[in-house]
Amino acid sequence: MNFKNSFLTAVRAINKNKMRSSLTSVGIIIGVSSVIIMVGMGNSARVAVRDRITTFGSNAMSVYQSKKPLVDRDLENLRRLYLVKYITPIVYDSYVPTVFQGKNMLSRIYGVNNDFFQIKEWVLQSGRYFTELEILSIGKVVIIGTTVSQELFGNVNPIGRTILIRNVPFQVIGVLTEQGSSFSGRDYDNVLIMPFTTAATRMQNQNFYDEIYIAAYSEDLIPETADAVRLYLRRVHNIPWGSPDDFKIKTSKEQLRVAEDISKTLAILLAGIALISLFVGGVGIMNIMLVSVSERTREIGIRMAIGAKRKDVLLQFLIESVTLSSVGGVVGITLGIGVYYTIIFFLKWPFIISPLSVLVSFLFAFAVGIFFGYYPAKKAADLKPIDALRFE
Amino acid sequence: MASNIIDILELVKVYKLSDEVSVRALKGVSLSVDRGEFLSIMGASGSGKSTFMNILGFLDTPTSGRYVLDGIDGSSLSSNEKAEIRNRKIGFVFQGFNLLSRTSALENVELPLMYKGGVTVREMREKARSLLSMVGLGGREHHHPNKLSGGEQQRVAIARSLINDPAIILADEPTGNLDTKNSNEIMDIFTRLNRETGITMILVTHEPDIAQYSDRKIVFRDGLIIEDGPIRKKAFKTGVVKARKG
Repeated sequence: MNFKNSFLTAVRAINKNKMRSSLTSVGIIIGVSSVIIMVGMGNSARVAVRDRITTFGSNAMSVYQSKKPLVDRDLENLRRLYLVKYITPIVYDSYVPTVFQGKNMLSRIYGVNNDFFQIKEWVLQSGRYFTELEILSIGKVVIIGTTVSQELFGNVNPIGRTILIRNVPFQVIGVLTEQGSSFSGRDYDNVLIMPFTTAATRMQNQNFYDEIYIAAYSEDLIPETADAVRLYLRRVHNIPWGSPDDFKIKTSKEQLRVAEDISKTLAILLAGIALISLFVGGVGIMNIMLVSVSERTREIGIRMAIGAKRKDVLLQFLIESVTLSSVGGVVGITLGIGVYYTIIFFLKWPFIISPLSVLVSFLFAFAVGIFFGYYPAKKAADLKPIDALRFE
Repeated sequence: MASNIIDILELVKVYKLSDEVSVRALKGVSLSVDRGEFLSIMGASGSGKSTFMNILGFLDTPTSGRYVLDGIDGSSLSSNEKAEIRNRKIGFVFQGFNLLSRTSALENVELPLMYKGGVTVREMREKARSLLSMVGLGGREHHHPNKLSGGEQQRVAIARSLINDPAIILADEPTGNLDTKNSNEIMDIFTRLNRETGITMILVTHEPDIAQYSDRKIVFRDGLIIEDGPIRKKAFKTGVVKARKG
């Protein structure tokens, strides 16, 4: 019997048991679609995280203090380095109650100077940045994110209005464009940006910075810039030769690498779980094929009596299981892409479908059919014609 | 090439039930069958006739002895070669019909040709169709076995046995599940085939009336042939089976 006829025979057998065949495929469908969804989500998450981090500025770095605080003098000295293009201190404050005409919410404060907007590449949709005077004079002015604007003001134009932040009246001078959310769900639009002097004295009552952001002139100059900053801080902090730094310098490249590592691990983990479900689907196929072989022992006997060879029977059952798994694979791929697209659509993540992952999933489903179908098929083919024919 | 279609010499079959117990189902059977003969094999159950038929049909292998079918020595064949002989040289008709359920009459008839290969689907259809109409089932090609009567199912089985133009037909109690009328009709088809195409017929039965259709009768007892001779035809030829017990 040629391959075409074996295929025909197998398809007929599948058709005779539509209900069972489709239930058998469900395992593979779920397995393959979860592979597609998981791999897709992993890829999307990676790109989403990378986009988010590069908005931090691809040639930026941040300096954290750990023992000795970073102060005004540090900022002024670092600013003088010819390698430094932009530099801003940052004073944080989170969960700050913010009120406007009876409506209130909790927001996050960034105390910065105007360089912050350059480094972060955050742009105003309306209003203006800080003036030098406002920064020097601890001005009570604030630039708000879109979430704050929507929740407190709705359709009202917030520019020029006064809001209460920790019971201190602030005048809104600008509104940011929308930034989106981070991978962990942090809303970058729920922010209040004010002069660092104001954040430090009016909000936190501290005379140091939590962090300094520095931008180099280009990505290539980041290591050199970081070295210069490191040398300066070690000298100022009187750190002896050979002792470790008492501050930390993080470049966005490093952050990018960490994030990539995390999301890559996540993607592998997810794909691993999905592969397990594909494996379970394969066991389901094997189970059904074993039942099918013992149920159809007499049929096998008849086929052998009228001339089916060992390989004909083997091929028939193997094609049957491979057809089940491949059809399950195709349906699973379609379903997976659909579900993945839906999720991505709501998360506003980029839609990335790699043809390779689709091909691999299909080949994997195919291989599952062969792997889990071979044993039952061999069992059928190894039957002795006379025993199979006598089977009741 | 021998003129005999079947040459059997000292065929022995021993079933080993356990290390100590074994059953000698055939104890040295020799038989020659001419081309075109219509042979019936009789014997009580346990006499060895079924074992003999299975060996004749290459479904089982003898423990010792020689079996030559149509010039092919069966003793040195692989399981694939045996499958090929079953497919091309032998047409089987069983007591229980042994059709594939949930498969149309036409597809059942096509099956051996499908395994033989080398023909187009159209040729296959054509041949199966003509055989079905030959056994009187024209127009029922697409009925499934469970929608056919016992007699009709056996006709499908006969059509199936003929599709690869075999050298012999082995019919193992073909009328065992049928009533008198259908039995006669089935036997008439066999007789006609034997007369018109010269195909060798080997028929196992325990009913003397059915054996009457054949030309030569051998009788098995305790694994040996105890009787071998021509049938003494009764005066009337057709409608031999009159009444059947139970």
